Amino acid sequence: MKETLRFGFILGIICIVAAGLLAGVDILTKPKILAQEKLEEELSLRAIFPSAHHFDEVRDGEKVIYYKIFSSDGKFIGVAFNTSGKGYAGEIKTLVGMLSDGKITAIKVTSQSETPGLGSRIAETNFTERFQGKSDLSGVEAITGATISSRAVIDSVKKKAEEIRLRVENDR
Amino acid sequence: MKSLIKEFSKGITVLNPTFGLILGLCPTLAISTSLFNAIGMGVAATFVLVFSNLIISALRNFIPARIRLPSYIVIIATFVTICELGLKAYLPGLSKSLGIFIPLIVVNCIIMARAEAFASSNRILPSIFDGLGMGIGFTLGISIIAFIRELLGSGSIAGIGLLKSNEFILVMILSPGALLTMGLLIALSRLLGLTKR
Repeated sequence: MKETLRFGFILGIICIVAAGLLAGVDILTKPKILAQEKLEEELSLRAIFPSAHHFDEVRDGEKVIYYKIFSSDGKFIGVAFNTSGKGYAGEIKTLVGMLSDGKITAIKVTSQSETPGLGSRIAETNFTERFQGKSDLSGVEAITGATISSRAVIDSVKKKAEEIRLRVENDR
Repeated sequence: MKSLIKEFSKGITVLNPTFGLILGLCPTLAISTSLFNAIGMGVAATFVLVFSNLIISALRNFIPARIRLPSYIVIIATFVTICELGLKAYLPGLSKSLGIFIPLIVVNCIIMARAEAFASSNRILPSIFDGLGMGIGFTLGISIIAFIRELLGSGSIAGIGLLKSNEFILVMILSPGALLTMGLLIALSRLLGLTKR
């Protein structure tokens, strides 16, 4: 009994010191990590919407549903949104830019863990440019040898694009 | 001083984690697809190894033998988390490409093995040198594998393309390539007497 208490006490001290240390590191790195995420988000948005001047987040509670994109003269030109689908080796996340008439401007694969050299080719421009200017995505061709990964991207973009189109109509 | 050099160099040669002890294969197989990732992984693991060895050695008389494993895991996990947050804040690119394998350093058996086999029964300074040697040995091992796999599998070295797309062997970048490369390198290192059986 006494042994058990002593062991618990020692382990407790180790855990408290570890927790304190981690809390300190978290406080130090948090603003930096948030800034990095913000920067990355902004760079991604600019990459899929080169004509964008500024963005507005449309939120539902904490979550960002989509971004409204405005040109330099303040005109609403389109939206951008994140979508994800299940690929061959895990989740594939894609950022999509869509003009107000429903045409895709560009897509960017932001995170994927597909087979290097095969499925990972979905992140290359050779594949992503197939979406450009399309509003009906059933015409987008999959990459030979990487059908599952390609379909995951195509289907997830298609599904979310329809959802967002309806939402934008309602929000107007 | 002489013994310190010995503790340091054994991790690079005879007891090399990758080719001698054959420990920590999960990150070795998964991350050795590119030289850049391999070096990043090696440095991160070395950081964790040195600091966990340091703390475990310093606390070796404070931690009772019966609760040493949970204590080691808490200590190792703390340094891994510090490392993960640091990478996210200052090297987001590397943090993204290493992904899940940074938090998985916690279960890298090299770190646990050195804590159990060395740091728990040695003084602080030799433990630091042991951790440093093992870490550098691991970095070296994983980098050699990554160098070969990246060159043959995607035709580049550290992201710089060298070969044309029809000149490299795709399978080298996939898991069979990792096993083949590692097996041949282990055989070679034993043949040359660099590591022990």
